[in-house]
Parts: sequence; C-alpha cells; structure tokens
Amino acid sequence: MYGGGNTFEPMKATGIENEDPVLLAEFEARIERGEKIEPHDWMPQLYRKQLIRMIEQHAHSEIIGALPEGTWITRAPGFKRKLALMAKVQDEVGHAQLLYSAAETLGKPREQMLDDLVTGKSKYSNIFNYPAFTWADSCFISWLVDAGAIVNQLANARGSYGPYCRALERICAEESFHLKYGHHCVIHLATGTEKQREMMQAAINRWWPPMMHFFGPPDKASVHSEILMRWKVKMSSNDDQRNQFLDMYVPKIWELGFTIPDENLKKNTVTGKWEYTEPDWAEFKRVINGDGPCNAERLAVRRTAEERGRWVRKALLTPKTEYVTPLA
Amino acid sequence: MNTLAVKELLYKMADDQLILGHRNSEWTGFGPLLEEDIAFSSMAQDKVGQSQALYQLLHELGEAEPDTVAFTRNADQFHNSQLVELPNGEYDFSLIRHFLFDTAEALRFEMLTQSSFEPLAKLAKKIQGELRYHTMHANIWIKQLGSATEESIGRLQKSLDEAMPYALGLFENSEFESDLISSGVFAGEEELKSKWLEQVEKIIDQTQLTLPDVLTLTPKTGGRAGIHTEHLQPLLDEMSEVFRIDPTAEW
Amino acid sequence: MNKSLDPRVNRLDLPQGELTPKVPLDQFGTFEVFVQLKEGKGYRHEGSVHAPNIDMAFLFAKEQFSRRLMCAGIFVAETRNVFVTGFTEDKDSIYNHISDDFPEDGEIENYEVFHLNKRGKQHEHIGSVPSKNHQHALAQAKGEFIDGPPVFNIWVIKTADILFTEEEDMIMWNTLHEKKFRDASDYKAADKIKAFKERQQ
Ligand SMILES: [Fe+2]
Ligand SMILES: [Fe+2]
Ligand SMILES: [Fe+2]
Repeated sequence: MYGGGNTFEPMKATGIENEDPVLLAEFEARIERGEKIEPHDWMPQLYRKQLIRMIEQHAHSEIIGALPEGTWITRAPGFKRKLALMAKVQDEVGHAQLLYSAAETLGKPREQMLDDLVTGKSKYSNIFNYPAFTWADSCFISWLVDAGAIVNQLANARGSYGPYCRALERICAEESFHLKYGHHCVIHLATGTEKQREMMQAAINRWWPPMMHFFGPPDKASVHSEILMRWKVKMSSNDDQRNQFLDMYVPKIWELGFTIPDENLKKNTVTGKWEYTEPDWAEFKRVINGDGPCNAERLAVRRTAEERGRWVRKALLTPKTEYVTPLA
Repeated sequence: MNTLAVKELLYKMADDQLILGHRNSEWTGFGPLLEEDIAFSSMAQDKVGQSQALYQLLHELGEAEPDTVAFTRNADQFHNSQLVELPNGEYDFSLIRHFLFDTAEALRFEMLTQSSFEPLAKLAKKIQGELRYHTMHANIWIKQLGSATEESIGRLQKSLDEAMPYALGLFENSEFESDLISSGVFAGEEELKSKWLEQVEKIIDQTQLTLPDVLTLTPKTGGRAGIHTEHLQPLLDEMSEVFRIDPTAEW
Repeated sequence: MNKSLDPRVNRLDLPQGELTPKVPLDQFGTFEVFVQLKEGKGYRHEGSVHAPNIDMAFLFAKEQFSRRLMCAGIFVAETRNVFVTGFTEDKDSIYNHISDDFPEDGEIENYEVFHLNKRGKQHEHIGSVPSKNHQHALAQAKGEFIDGPPVFNIWVIKTADILFTEEEDMIMWNTLHEKKFRDASDYKAADKIKAFKERQQ
C-alpha cells in the first residue's frame, strides 16, 4: 500500500542548468515518446535524486504499512480471515522488497535505506502512524487505505522509470486481492450484527481524517511539481488522486449504509469534483514530523526487528558473495 | 477402522499445525531480514492451511466446523504437543523449533501417504511439495547458522538443548497406537521417532552443534492429553478474541 | 512507550528511550531471479533478492517471486556472474555490434543466453550455447539470432553459475492454485450487498 503526499526534495534551484543540454534533451524526448528510462540510461542528477527519494518512501510505507494491520494478525476471526490477513501483510513486506530493489538500481543500497528509516531520516506514508483499535480498523485499512494506494500506484505505474514501473505492475496485481479481501470484510461487518456495524462505523469515523490526508496537501503549481510531472516522476496531482478516490469509494461506503464524518462531503454535479471540509493540514504536518499517535512505536518496532536480527545477518555475512546493484 | 483412533490422530496433527502456524505468523513484519520474513510467513500460512484441511477431515467424520473447532475450544481440549505452544523467543529458538518440528511433520505425512484412511493419504500426498520446501528451508538455515559464528552456534545450541525435551513430546504415544498400526492408518509414533532422530542427526552432524543425548532426556509429554504449559490458554484467548465477540456471526 | 495495541509488539520488549542509529552492515550479495510460469513456457527475469549464498537466494526467491497463481520452476544466479552487453535502440539489434572474435581461453561448457526484446520489459531466457567464455557465447548466439527480431540487450550466464530447480523439487508449487485465500476472485459478496439493500427498503 502507499499513497500520494510524497515529500520531495525542496528545490530552490533545480540544478538542471548544469546538465548537458544535448543529453537532457534526449532524455526528455525519450520520456515524451512514452519510453521507459532504464538504470543504464543517462539521467539528470535531479531525476535520480527525486526518484530514489520517492521509491524509498514508498518502500518504507510498505514495510511500516505492514504494522497497523499486523496488529490483528494473531486475532483474525476464522480460518479464511486468518490466512488472508497473513498473506496480505506478507505481501506488503514483499512490496517493500520489490521497491527497495527498484530504488537500489538508482544507486542507494538497501541497508542504507533501512538505516535512514529507523533513524527517522526518511519518511513514510503518514497514515500508518495511526492505531488500529479494533478488527474493523484492519478491515478499513485493507479496503480503503489499499484502495487509495491503488489509485496512486496505478498512476505511478505509468511513470518513466522502468524498474519502478515493473515493481508496481507486480504490486498492483497483488493489490487487487487486498482490495477485494478488505471490501469482503467490510461487507460482512456492514451486513452482520448490530455490534459489527457499530465497530465498522467507529472505524470509518476514526480513519476518515487520515484518509483525507493520505494523498497529501493540495497542489500548488510550483517549479518542482511541473518538472517532476514533465519527467513522469509525479504522475497526477494530489487533488486529482483524492478526487478519484472519493469518486470511486464514497458511493461504495454509503451503499453499505455507513456515514462519513464530514457533513460537507458531496459531489458538485456541475464541476464533477468532490467538495469536503478542508482537512487539518497542521495535524498532517505534525504527524509527518514525528508527533503522531504511533510514530514512536512504528519506528521502535522496525528498529527492534533490525536489532534482533543483527546476529542472524552477521552470522550469514560472508566475503564469498558481494553486494552489487540489481540489474533491472 | 477405529474412528476414535483416527480422530485422535487427526486432532493432534491439526492442533500442532494450527498452533505452530499461529506462532510462526507472529514473525510476519518482524523478521531478521526482508526475504526471510516473507519465506517464514509462507510456511506459517501453509501450516494454518494444513490444519484447516485436517479439521475438515474431522468435520467429515462428524466433528464441528473447522472454525468452531479451532476458535472455540479451551486449552485442555487441545491435543497439540507442548513444543508448538512455547513462545517464539528469539529467531534461534523459532528456527530450531521449525527444524525439529518440520522434520517430524514431513516424515509423518510421508508415512501417511500410505495410510489406509484414504482421505488422509490423499491430503498427505497433496502437501508433499509444501513440506519439501519447509524442510529444505529448515535444513539450509540450520546448517548455515549452526556453523557460522560463535554467537550463532551458541544461540542455536542453547535453543536446541531447550527444545529437545519438548520435541520428544511430539511422539507421545496414543492409547490407540496399536489400533492405528494394525489397521494401517499410521505406522506409529515409535517408528516416526526413530526416522526423525536419524534425520535430525544427519543434519546436526553437518554443523558444529551437538545433539543432546536423547536417552538422558525426559520428554515433555501431556500435550496430546490436553495438559499444557501456561502459554497455550493466552494464545487461544488472543487467537479467538474477535471470533468470540459473536461466534455465530459471519466475520 | 505506552502499551501497544498489537499483542505481538508487547511481546517484543521494545527498547525504551531515544532511537539509537542502527549500525550499518555490509550487505548480502545480489542474485537475479528467473521464473517459469508454466511448463513449456520460457524463463523470464522477475527481479532480485539479497542473500548470503545461492542456496538461500533460492529459498528467498521462491517465496518472493512464486508464491501466487502458478509456477513451474525458478532459477537464480549471482548478479556479478551475469555478463551484460551494451544497449541498442529502435530497429538496431545489439547483435550487429557483437564481435565475431573472442578470447580463446576457457574450456567448452554451457552458457545461458537471455534477450531483452522490448525496452521496458524483462529479459527472457532464449537458450544455451556451448562456449569457452562469455564472449564466445555471444559470438555463437549472434550466428543464431542476428537475423531474428531485434534484440536490445543480452545477458549471458555460465550454466554452472546458475542454481536450477531440481526435478524432484518441482512439486513445491503443486498446491499454489489451491491457495484461494490470496486470490481476488475468491472474495465475491455482491449477494450480501443486494440482500442488505433489500432489507433496508
Ligand atoms: Fe502494498
Ligand atoms: Fe496492499
Ligand atoms: Fe511445515
């Protein structure tokens, strides 16, 4: 899973004025023709830097994203749910593996990325800093957070960097199981007992604000957005993705008789766009910067996993094999 | 065929697979390296899936639905060995348990491919591939960590010493032992145990680990009769926390 | 830190206080993974894993790249043992740039050849050639493939550097198609929604 709201390298100057104009023109022409950029191709420094940052954040979001739902992995009710949730959380770890590989092709080793994650140097999707209080929260995540991630990932799969697109193709194929599984869970709670419905409604109420944050703050036209869009690093605007998500899923939530905790939420029939109460972007900032309900726990868990696994990795390390960048 | 005897066999196998699958799933997301996290999770899923298939066979013999059987019994109604219910500990203990248990599990199912109880023989044949991967995984890991660093060898040795009496509890004889053997349902725990010891020795011999002398150990038995450590009931309470909110509801 | 909502986390004994940076480790080696979806189909490059040796790379590759749908076999090779040619564009096959000359050193043994047939896609296994070394293998492949559709990049791996699935291990994927719980098509619930809506009216 993953969403928009990537934080990009702040760009006062883009640095592309220092790039070889002929190479840059060829590079841009290739993207313009819809061809992929591959690891061996020439690319501007800025492209490399922003991509590493974006793919790395995406990878971190997968591995941290395994934690909120993991909260319910030992408590899933019944065999079907137990097996599915195990497989679903496992897939998220698998997505991280694929994405770290894609980022590695740009030159940053995986261990370094994992280091930057546990030290808090690099970010991951904000939404995973919220807690999953009940089983219904895990159902919300599987269905709707993954739905949001799919909107984002399908867009990014049309991007320009070959290894990232190929990883996303694999990921999106698995996401369809996550989405269907999540929807199936929510439908069962919605059409079940009064208690089950209440659990689900409470989860929707809790998760709606972070869900609205998921795609990131409204886009302001900036150099940075413009160049990243031209290079097909960023494939659609945060607002467009948010709107697409609302368009696809709000009716499906309403259809199950649930309410959404925003009385201003409605589709403007003239513009075709959804209107909603402006999300609390101050909170978004605060949580991104470390002050969310679960930031400390998420990082501590990752760090513990790394530390408890250290003796294993140390024991296996041999000079007989050598770290090199993956090929593609 | 003595149905009671078959049921008892199925229950202990199903309960073993479920409880260990559940324990192993606790590692998902916390593993020592990414790829291993994924591999270990797959094997946990296989185990839970295999337990479901075994409960399904029990259901066909008149027992309740798999979900009911798995999610509503209490510890004293479970027939798993005590080995599988122990907490995960560090990765060394989880790996050693995985090695000891899966070696036995693979041999047990291999023997059962010959069972006169057709449905079980069929299931045993079907899952041969899954078990092959599990033992391949266990053997490769034990061979490598068991001859790597002082720390890894020390850790594995300690876990092996701890786990071994419990592992011997896997082969606790059932009151139906002779029934099962004479009717050709299962060739019996004693035969399984000697095959297991041979295989475990074969792998341990390729490491710098020392297999404790089994003759001097007292097997931790009782699990098959519903006598468990203090760890099983909390595990079951946790596993069924949501299910028990309303066992008649569809989740 | 407060008690976690995840009982597994509470059993982990999280460290208290400030995060201390993890000590950077050297990394494990890199291995490329090739998967055959069905018997009779070709092997295709699917991605890479990090592992301390080729046996573990196989263990890891199996679950990372063939845990769903179907698979008939996989193989892995250490990335640094992959001999990679340059790249070409448009209609220009890389074989046009492969030299017919090759060094004479080495004993004859098999080399596996992989083609990139389309930019942005994965490399596919095309066959093997008995050769003395990687360049020789390329020269041999050239004779066979230069007249075919253009190839934009070639990988050559010495067969001995590859870990193949052994015949008796092929059964490891036998139950994949039965793992319905990871299959989107097993989660249909339109009936439930319909019945629910009818009850609402
Ligand atoms: Fe994901
Ligand atoms: Fe997902
Ligand atoms: Fe197993």
